[in-house]
Amino acid sequence: MAKKIGRREFVKSTAKIGISAVLGGSVISQFSCSQAGMCDIAVASGEDYLKNTIKAVELHGGMMKFVKKGSKVAILPNTQSRHPGTFTNPDIVRAVIRTCKEAGAAEVNCLSWLTPKHWADTGLDKAVQEEGANLKLIERDDEALYTPVPIPGGIALKQAQIMNEFFNNDVFIDMPVTKDHAGNKFTGTLKNLMGLNYRVNNRTFHKEGWRTEQSAIEHLDQCIADLNTVVKPTLCVVDATEFITTNGPFGPGKLLKPQKVIAGTDRVAIDAYCATLWGLEARDIIMINKAYEHKLGQIDLQKVKIQEIKA
Amino acid sequence: MIRNHRVLTVFLISSMFLLFAPSGAHSSVPLDLYKFLPLSGEVGEWERNDQPQDYRGEDLYEYINGGAEIYHEYGFNRVIVQDFRNKSGKSISVEIFEMEDSESAYGIYTFKTHLEDKKLSLGSDAQLSDYYLNFWKANVLVTITGFDEDEETIEGLQELARAVEAKMKLNGEKPHLVSVLPKKELITTSIKYFEGNLGLYNSYSFFARDIFSLEKGIKGDYESGYSVYFIQSKNGEVGQKRFDEIKRDFEGSPRYKNFNSLEKELFMVEDRKSKRIFISYFKDSILIVMGAIPSHQVKEIFSSIQENIGK
Repeated sequence: MAKKIGRREFVKSTAKIGISAVLGGSVISQFSCSQAGMCDIAVASGEDYLKNTIKAVELHGGMMKFVKKGSKVAILPNTQSRHPGTFTNPDIVRAVIRTCKEAGAAEVNCLSWLTPKHWADTGLDKAVQEEGANLKLIERDDEALYTPVPIPGGIALKQAQIMNEFFNNDVFIDMPVTKDHAGNKFTGTLKNLMGLNYRVNNRTFHKEGWRTEQSAIEHLDQCIADLNTVVKPTLCVVDATEFITTNGPFGPGKLLKPQKVIAGTDRVAIDAYCATLWGLEARDIIMINKAYEHKLGQIDLQKVKIQEIKA
Repeated sequence: MIRNHRVLTVFLISSMFLLFAPSGAHSSVPLDLYKFLPLSGEVGEWERNDQPQDYRGEDLYEYINGGAEIYHEYGFNRVIVQDFRNKSGKSISVEIFEMEDSESAYGIYTFKTHLEDKKLSLGSDAQLSDYYLNFWKANVLVTITGFDEDEETIEGLQELARAVEAKMKLNGEKPHLVSVLPKKELITTSIKYFEGNLGLYNSYSFFARDIFSLEKGIKGDYESGYSVYFIQSKNGEVGQKRFDEIKRDFEGSPRYKNFNSLEKELFMVEDRKSKRIFISYFKDSILIVMGAIPSHQVKEIFSSIQENIGK
């Protein structure tokens, strides 16, 4: 069974050695895609989104490489809005839960501080329930339910507050939908981690009075990159099947339907790849650049091994 | 006696002003947004579903988690949200946003609409997209969203929109900057009005910092394939000295190539996608033309803008 990251240990190790000692870190280094001579990013496309997800994860080494028998898995889909193309497709969530269980996961826990209505409106509650996973909705305003986590390498954000429930798991799968975001221009694996962080702490990412001058945008993007230095997903499975390219993140907005699911562990490379799906360049997205400056991954897609298949 | 005459005169002038002033165009008179919501049975088979939601000021963050900044940049007061459902189980959401003034409502309307949308005759302007529509009137923006693209839903969107619009006895003007854009070949559905840096950043990210000192701005796309930006500076007259600084920023940036100083008050660069960008200035504003277009035509466009400013 994979090593469980206790809350106390997480805080201690994070404070001591920073980004190398975070949840799933050992799993990532052990099963590095490139070390195994495989792709850095796996992309599966087709009309059947459940099948795409299974194929993308298989292409990236299979779920058994990330989920050990008896382990507890935390998953974080995006369920921010019910508008089309703004939330992780339920079929993708179904596929991840199913493959985790097939790999021998003891539990799959879907974490969120959003309301039951968010989960009902998107149909994600039904998918989670039918696949036998646990929907763990954390009271968003009770600070006692969130653990302070120092960010030693943080430039703008010095401390995160991650939901306590997160630390009861061995594996973490980040499951955003990639889409437009008015504040960052783009959202994907990096920004999705705000879904684990205490809402009041997230509010500090945004400047007082909702100022939007350039320094405010940079502050938000720096905070997101800083947060990502202490929370590393074991695996990312990204929904790029149908998503909004305008008026994000809430929508409604113009829908693009590339019908792709992406699996990988390099958040910077995955986000850089997803940005290209609607004509953006990673170098123009401050958040991805800040994460790259933190050495969280590869921004230059020429240096990333991308394998694409039709599912 | 003289004093009484003066009081009477002031009263009459004030009354005349109130009588002919556009009603509801300013935030000083809060609107009863609930009056604009159709009742169950008023619009075919569409019945109200659940209680309306109501968010004011900073609370918008509760509703549009992560996407509130852009609304605040334009000037947001309040939003109410009411869901409707018909007998076949289709859902439609009606959002009524009270913005600070007509310019704010027009601005966020242009932010949320898309070049490819279909124009509708509703309110001051209206556009229908694949599964949603937006219209604005005075200081109010209305967004009506369906959750699929079925004919029944699209018809429902328009019926509900007409019912809301009929209840809005309001008037308001577009910002005067709209008239600055040359009219020939202008695609009116492409217009974006900016009241801050975030709006511009979402349209085109010239630089990671606000080199234009944007106060307000407008952008339009043209049938020949080019775009025109008109950006008013918050620092007053641009002047040759500041323009030369902007010129140096572009010349020294790795994001741009093939810098060419065509004239003292006009230069050209190409972006990473080899899109040509011509930049000049006039009084307190920066004038930009982007696209494959010869420089003599750019000068004609700049002259046309200067003429429009003088009108």
